[in-house]
Amino acid sequence: MEGASSKGALNHLTFLEAQARSRKTGASQQKSGASQLKAKVEELKKQRDLLKAQIAVHQSLQKLRTSLDKNEDADVDETSENSKLLMLMVKHSQLKDVLLAHHLLGGYDVVKTNEDNSLCFSLPTAYQGTMLDTYHVEIDVKRTVRISRHNIPPFIDVESLAKETNMQENIRGFLDTLSLHLNAFSSRKHQLKLVKDLHKSVEVLESNALCSLLVLLLTIPKEKTALLCSLDYSDHTRSLPTRVSIKGEEKDLSDSPEWQKNIALLQETPVHEALTAMRETRHII
Amino acid sequence: MDDTARRLLQRLVRRIPSQLLKPTLEKWGRLKRTQLDSLDFSQSKYSLTEKLLSVCEENGSSIKHITELELLYVIDNPVAGKWHAYQFIDPEDDAHTVELMQFKEQFKSHLTELVQNVSIKMKKHTDEAVWIRLAWGQSFSRPNHFKPTYVVYHLQSPYVFMTSMNSKHRPLLSQALVLATRHQAVKNANLSGKLNAIRDLVMRQYEHVFPTKFPSNISENNENTKNPNIKQEQEEQSSNRLQMACEAFGGGKLPEIQSAVYNLETKFRGHAKNMEERGGPFKCVVTFSGTNILESLRSCASSGIASTPVTPVLSSIPRKGRNYFLMTDNNPGSSQTQQQQK
Repeated sequence: MEGASSKGALNHLTFLEAQARSRKTGASQQKSGASQLKAKVEELKKQRDLLKAQIAVHQSLQKLRTSLDKNEDADVDETSENSKLLMLMVKHSQLKDVLLAHHLLGGYDVVKTNEDNSLCFSLPTAYQGTMLDTYHVEIDVKRTVRISRHNIPPFIDVESLAKETNMQENIRGFLDTLSLHLNAFSSRKHQLKLVKDLHKSVEVLESNALCSLLVLLLTIPKEKTALLCSLDYSDHTRSLPTRVSIKGEEKDLSDSPEWQKNIALLQETPVHEALTAMRETRHII
Repeated sequence: MDDTARRLLQRLVRRIPSQLLKPTLEKWGRLKRTQLDSLDFSQSKYSLTEKLLSVCEENGSSIKHITELELLYVIDNPVAGKWHAYQFIDPEDDAHTVELMQFKEQFKSHLTELVQNVSIKMKKHTDEAVWIRLAWGQSFSRPNHFKPTYVVYHLQSPYVFMTSMNSKHRPLLSQALVLATRHQAVKNANLSGKLNAIRDLVMRQYEHVFPTKFPSNISENNENTKNPNIKQEQEEQSSNRLQMACEAFGGGKLPEIQSAVYNLETKFRGHAKNMEERGGPFKCVVTFSGTNILESLRSCASSGIASTPVTPVLSSIPRKGRNYFLMTDNNPGSSQTQQQQK
């Protein structure tokens, strides 16, 4: 009985001793913890000041950039060094954005329309220094990239071109291909018009709306016989024919040596110029 | 010259107005110069007909030649009645290289296979359109030249225009056209009206207006701009409206579409007695008609009667190139335009 109670008392004593000991070390620990925390507070304060400074710079950059975008005079309210640096940074960011936009669009004229939901691209066409028709394509870009309207004639299939060039991911590729087709079509149409205007002695027997097929009736000066000249423009992206054949009344003259040069001429130069050259060398009237 | 040819010629001379008779006959080129000169075009139509009949008897003109003359007249003055537009879909790989002779031969052979006793006449017009005149006949009767069908087709374009014909013959004609132009099917484009109008609309041959950085000067009130003392209030709004109206319908002279029909099969959503009890769709047909409805719709939009931006219900007429619409409810609370498949 005494042992149990003494044990209990001894135990209690050891327990109290241990407690007192731990309280002492706890106090010193607290002291070191406090200094640690103080150091951390300093560090965090420094970080906060740095971030605040960054935010201030960013805000002033934004302000300068918006005023630059609107072409207003930027109001400078900081020390001269800082302001110059800020202006440079702003102009740099603006140039980078413009370059990115240019790269995306490929240099076509674009106008935002429909409350910024679609873009309207203009595709001008030209041939030999003459400006021809301008075509427009309006593309909806808000949710999916799709064509909403255009003024391209129906024999040039715009939807299938969009599918082939993967317009969803690469608007530039689509626009480049479309521009190629349109320029080639306009130039072929223009060549046909020039042939009709300049060469009254040449009769246009057949042509089609896409101007991909042309059959002309030429006359030889000496014998006054007629020649059938057919030009096949099967590559719709080129303004020169892919195949030329000349047929006389009885035989096919494509292989005869005297006409080889003319055939080569028709394949390499535009139709109206080739006809003028042929007229000058007295091959045709 | 047999009886049909004579009657056809008589009808033709009655139809062609007097001032166009001489140029058409000259273009026909089957009368000798002396014969043409001997005709006095200031005479009454009746005596002229008699004279012309005797001249043609002299020349031995047959029904083929008379139909040629009729085709020539129709090319220059397309029948004022209804032309319908159809669209080819799913071209084969060589659809782009179909050339004139090939198309002509293929079409003739396919059509004569499908329909016995049809008389076909084809002519290529200077504006790259192929005109076809068809006279249909039954298995044992000769072709009826008094009710011909005309077909106009521009090579390498997906559209073909036809005048009305018997519903028996339409699928056969469509089949022949599809095979000859190397496509897989043809569908109704839901557009009808005068030939030049529907052709210009569908081939986009009128002036489109697009938003550009450099807006062209669409001046509206010309009288007011001349007088510097008059200034328009709300000038900006009215020029905005004009710009939006022109973007929706086009600038300048518009194709003369003369009617637009909207066939509604939607639920009635107003508040009226007796209407709420009906559960099914409310069928109603709205027709716009006039001498040039595109112009009138454009001026409605630019003067503010129709709200801008122009509602797609109206602007789909030029944009989709159709003037027959079937509107149904797909889900409650919305209505869409659907195409009517014939």
